[in-house]
Amino acid sequence: MSQLKYLVIYASLVVALILMILPLPDWAQIYRPNWVALVLIYWSMALPKRVGLWFAFFCGIMLDTSLGTLLGQHAMGLVIVIFFNMNFHQRIRVLGLAQQAIYVFALLLINQGVVAWVEGIMGRSTPLLAFFSAPLVGMLIWPWVFVILRDIRRKTLLR
Amino acid sequence: MKILFQARGATLQALFLVVLSIAIMVVDHRFQHLEIVRSNLSLVISPLRYLVSLPAIGGNWLGDWFTTHTELLEENETLKAEGRILNARLQKLEILAEENTRLRNLLGSSRKISDDVIVAELLSVDQNPYRQLIEINKGSSDGVEIGHAVIDDSGVMGQVIHVNAQSATTILISDPEHAIPVQFVRSGTRSVAFGRGSTRQLELRYLPATADIMIDDELVTSGLGGRFPPNYPVARVTSISEDRIRGFVSVIAEPKAKLDSSREVLVIKPRQ
Repeated sequence: MSQLKYLVIYASLVVALILMILPLPDWAQIYRPNWVALVLIYWSMALPKRVGLWFAFFCGIMLDTSLGTLLGQHAMGLVIVIFFNMNFHQRIRVLGLAQQAIYVFALLLINQGVVAWVEGIMGRSTPLLAFFSAPLVGMLIWPWVFVILRDIRRKTLLR
Repeated sequence: MKILFQARGATLQALFLVVLSIAIMVVDHRFQHLEIVRSNLSLVISPLRYLVSLPAIGGNWLGDWFTTHTELLEENETLKAEGRILNARLQKLEILAEENTRLRNLLGSSRKISDDVIVAELLSVDQNPYRQLIEINKGSSDGVEIGHAVIDDSGVMGQVIHVNAQSATTILISDPEHAIPVQFVRSGTRSVAFGRGSTRQLELRYLPATADIMIDDELVTSGLGGRFPPNYPVARVTSISEDRIRGFVSVIAEPKAKLDSSREVLVIKPRQ
């Protein structure tokens, strides 16, 4: 039973993955926040023992598979983001939603930086607007992600 | 002390995973070894892809359901008329095909006239903004292999680059990493058409300034390189810009295939 509760984590990540591959019109592509990163950041903040680096790595590999990017590209970004988060989550957890959102913006920028860096090595440059727009939208959406996932966590009694 | 070790353990772990990611990326970029891993992972993802495509399928179904009677009648009329015209043309074509086989037999050539095709449907469009990739619903179990050409009813769309059991990834001719050998129908000049990341443009670089090219020239596959069968329509020239200093012209052509709107595609199996 206690193991079954953790299905919530996987379910939320599957939903995040669906949101990542959901077709959007071309102009909206660059505003798509990295849902997988947002959900992972939440769970690694709430349950750092449960959601660690390996977990982030496998999520990244699944994300790479579904986006058709190089295997390991998003995995590396997410591992780095979760590593930072592991060191800071205790200080961030007590902050208000607005300050948290700024912190999440920084994490998403790091992730975006890694992904864009790999794209750059392969000779595809990321436009400046596209680089900042997705993390910005992620930041604006963070309070809702946080509240929704917190409610889900409390309802399912995850500690 | 314990906390220190834990922290150090996490750092080491993170470093290890970053190095592992880089290693995987290099292998994935340079070699083909991860193809199996990728296709198995895709199999796990495929229910999600299907789920995502449901609204579109549902929309089509509803659209079909609510088509009015008169519309259906009209469509039926036009289809019948079209059918008659096509039948008439087909008769001519059959005679020509027969004649062609006869002539080829005379020449001692063993090339078949028609290619084997597999009919497939578009499953999803890859959301990576830097690439132009599509998923189709036929895979290795239907005989699709890496390198097979994919066309729609009006021209060449691309070629298969990953194959799973039930689906395959196709790179479109407009992908910036794709190039297709082509030939001008009118002048016979051979060239290579590169993708530019836009579904409406292909680029032919470094053609000599003396080459015989005009706006609206048709481009077909040349069959060189062995990937694409010859004589399938590819694109139509839309603009020609001259680089007088270096003596080259650069040509922009518009793909014939409806790269961004075709749902039904054909996978061509090369001749044995």
